[in-house]
Amino acid sequence: MTPADDRDLPVLPPGLRERVLAASLRARDAGRPVPDAPEISPVEAFSRTASAFYAVLCFLDDDDWRTPVLRGLDVQGLVGHLIGVEADVHRALAGDPDVADAEHVESTQAAALDQAARRPAQTRADWRRAVDRTLDLVRPADAPARVAVHGLRLPVSALLVVRAFELWTHENDIRQAVRWAPSVPDPSTLRLMTDLAARLLPHARAALAEPVDVRLVLTGPGGGTWDVTMGSSPASASVAIVTDAVGFCRLAANRVIPADLDVSVTGDPARAAAVLAAAATLALD
Amino acid sequence: MLAARLAAGDDHALAEVFDALGHSVYGSALRVLGDNSAAQDVVQEVFVELWRHPGRYDPAVGTLRTYLTVLARHRAVDLVRSELRRVARQERSYRLTPAPPPADAGDEVVAADTAGLVRSAVQLLPASQRQVVELAYFEGLTCREVAHAVGIPEGTAKSRLRLALAKLEEMLDRQLLESS
Repeated sequence: MTPADDRDLPVLPPGLRERVLAASLRARDAGRPVPDAPEISPVEAFSRTASAFYAVLCFLDDDDWRTPVLRGLDVQGLVGHLIGVEADVHRALAGDPDVADAEHVESTQAAALDQAARRPAQTRADWRRAVDRTLDLVRPADAPARVAVHGLRLPVSALLVVRAFELWTHENDIRQAVRWAPSVPDPSTLRLMTDLAARLLPHARAALAEPVDVRLVLTGPGGGTWDVTMGSSPASASVAIVTDAVGFCRLAANRVIPADLDVSVTGDPARAAAVLAAAATLALD
Repeated sequence: MLAARLAAGDDHALAEVFDALGHSVYGSALRVLGDNSAAQDVVQEVFVELWRHPGRYDPAVGTLRTYLTVLARHRAVDLVRSELRRVARQERSYRLTPAPPPADAGDEVVAADTAGLVRSAVQLLPASQRQVVELAYFEGLTCREVAHAVGIPEGTAKSRLRLALAKLEEMLDRQLLESS
């Protein structure tokens, strides 16, 4: 797109630009994607990603369960780790302070290693039961509003989106290990995930010399536009970063590096690179 | 990328599009309407449409400039068409009212000018098309009634009306441009 260069074009009437932009924003708020995915609750997002994860487990054969995936764990060990995570979440929801600052991997390592002597079907059934228990605990109206687990202190609704992120990421770890095509969350779930990652961005560790205003534009289903400030306001510089919503979620899950993303930047490229590097430290896996 | 940014709700992208193409869109509307205020309304309508439904623009079909200027032209022609109908209704009303109440002199002159433009444009149509336009718009007949009155199939009446309207728009377009 290039600016109009036709000499015969009329001069725009004063105020027309402002009038047009204001009318447009009255018709559709800035930041909201179109088509907008139907809104779902965090409980539903967690439930959907759990169902997708379970479906993958149901299609694995015995050899697949022995495939190395992550941190020295095979598929069965990784599912054991997730059984351990659910157990800690159950304790946190019951108000157990011992899991508030427990380390995510260390606290679940025993559950991961315990699976080695078991049949895959047993591990799969135990994980499903553990997830169903989590859903039973968070669905009632009088369920706790906030939770403290694995160093996180956040509303239960946010925890469920973090957990959806985790299940989707590990589902794709397994898919990659057994050489299946990657999956993409449905747009409603993805929208909750992108929103969470964008809101967490100001809290990420960023190597920025000075505060910077960031316009984050995530394209495709589940995307949207967010304005956040990295560092303490007011910022003296600004950057705009445009990239694909799913790719950004993979970055926030620390599964890709910024160089792997197709990114368009307006503003200082070094600042944008620092923002993207910070997003990877969110480690929402 | 621009379409994807618009779909993602990036209002800066909309401002960029306006800055680059606002002149062309305004010019496109102004060429049809010859009226600054009406052309601004069309520009607003076109950009609101782009912002609400960015997915309707398909880069594979053409440039964004072409999409927006064609959209502006269509919206402007729609305005002309609706003005034609309004003038036709007014014309019928004048005929049916023996003694019109005194009106503001300026309004009367404008209404008479526009009605005169339309009437002279209608007179330039081929007879078969003029006949259906007069029956449909000045006599208020439906398409079926026009077909019955002229003795032609309803489909033929419709296609004659469409042709006639397209010609009228072209003629009024020229006249409005000349008078502006």
